[in-house]
Amino acid sequence: MRSSTTRTWKGPTLAHSIVVDNVSAGYGAVRVLHGVSIQVNDGETVVLLGTNGNGKSTLIKCIMGIIQPDEGEIYLEADGERINLAGKNPEEIVNLGVALVPEGRRLFPRLTVEENLLLGAYREEARRGIDRNIAFAFEAFPVLAERKNQLAGSMSGGEQQMLAVARALMSAPKVLLVDEPSVGLAPILVSRVIAKIRELKEEYQLTVLMAEQNFNQAVKIADRGYIIVHGEIAFAGEDTEALAGHELVKKYYLGA
Amino acid sequence: MFSIEFLLNALVAGILLGGFYAAMSAGLSLSFGLLDVVNIAHPAFIIFGSYLTYYVNEHFGFDPILAGLVFAVPSYFLGVAVYKIYYNSFEKTGAESLRGLVFFFGLFFLIEVILIITYGVDYRLVRAFYIGKSTSIGSVGIAYRLFVPFLVGGILAAVLYLFLTKTFFGRAIMGVAQDSLAVQLMGVDPIRIKTVAFGIGIATAVIAGSLLIIIGPVEPTIGREYIGRVFAVTVLGGLGSMTGTLVGGLILGVAESFTSSFFGPSWALAVSFGILLICLAVRPSGLFGR
Repeated sequence: MRSSTTRTWKGPTLAHSIVVDNVSAGYGAVRVLHGVSIQVNDGETVVLLGTNGNGKSTLIKCIMGIIQPDEGEIYLEADGERINLAGKNPEEIVNLGVALVPEGRRLFPRLTVEENLLLGAYREEARRGIDRNIAFAFEAFPVLAERKNQLAGSMSGGEQQMLAVARALMSAPKVLLVDEPSVGLAPILVSRVIAKIRELKEEYQLTVLMAEQNFNQAVKIADRGYIIVHGEIAFAGEDTEALAGHELVKKYYLGA
Repeated sequence: MFSIEFLLNALVAGILLGGFYAAMSAGLSLSFGLLDVVNIAHPAFIIFGSYLTYYVNEHFGFDPILAGLVFAVPSYFLGVAVYKIYYNSFEKTGAESLRGLVFFFGLFFLIEVILIITYGVDYRLVRAFYIGKSTSIGSVGIAYRLFVPFLVGGILAAVLYLFLTKTFFGRAIMGVAQDSLAVQLMGVDPIRIKTVAFGIGIATAVIAGSLLIIIGPVEPTIGREYIGRVFAVTVLGGLGSMTGTLVGGLILGVAESFTSSFFGPSWALAVSFGILLICLAVRPSGLFGR
């Protein structure tokens, strides 16, 4: 077992990537995903674009073990080891170093900001770096330091989203999944949250998969991306220009 | 009759009683306040603890407090088993609200009947060197049979407070009823958290039972008198707050003590329900509720 969590510099052996292979999934009789395959390579920021109801969140939930896929495989490749995520529950997947900033934030409303952050560092590997990580969270989001004794449920939407991101990072993840960070936020706050995610990604050397319907915000952070339509990957863009040039993006996002 | 001396004695007796009420209610504050498990059988587990204490005191001369602490360990596992049955039968299928309540109601009577069959309906009591003695500060008398439970109750509430607020496990207990999926996303199994927390709740009930039989003689159905009290303390203090449980216990203790001093002991029971109703009307989240 690797003993150190100090991330001084990423070595070639610390590679973490997610492979989704031909996954179909849904809720009860309703199928939402039809044979979806995506890959998020080590250190990349990949964006999953799609309007509401096309399966972005469902795919994220499948990776996180909240929904079990009906067909297909999901792997986490960590340090050259291939771990099958199918059949694992969310807590097991978190303990493999994958963290989720869930849709709707899912904070503990009647715990304080600080208690939310500390609960984020529950897993054994996260506890070792807890002081450093909490100091970093407060540095990255000064508003959280100011309000550390305030109940999470009494904060504004933007502050809550920042807390949700900070709490996910408290688990010292290698892979960060972010589900629709822009929902319910004013545009100025969306820009700020997205900029923070990019900054934190650099600092923690994360591999990031973000589901988002706000194209203009998503491309600020993405290396490349997928467009998901009716539960299928409609287009895989190798860079942001390819995405911006695609007819689906023009049709849905850029008003062309 | 309304001398300062009389008032002081009533106040001190109430405070001492209040510490014991906090011990009785701490476990309920865990299960009802933090886990959303309406364990109405909590007082029955307290009486069960009283009889366990009585048994080893009567036959082996065990100190009651020591007996309570020792029995807390197997009682924890009993609580774990009860929660597992409750979870698999009700909570898992989302049928906990009404059928779960009936389950705990049934458990209450089951424990009561077992105690009646085993020991009959006579009052039982324990012996210890501190029972029957008292000291006085000025004109205020302090009976050790009240002071010892007060002390143990205070320590119990303090230990639980530190456990809940300063440990990772305790914080997970506080979070688990607020958002079970979010707890999973922190890498924690919510069922395990709830099982352990419920077990701890039952362990504290058994400790409270050893305190109850120090305060006075116990018979199997006496738990009914305490349903109103434990729920009043838990709600008044604020669900899940150990500070609130301690303060709520003290308030109820003092209120009962004054009521029985001025209007007679038969009114004491009405106090708890009165407090419960006023609290629900004026401040449903309780004094220290979040």
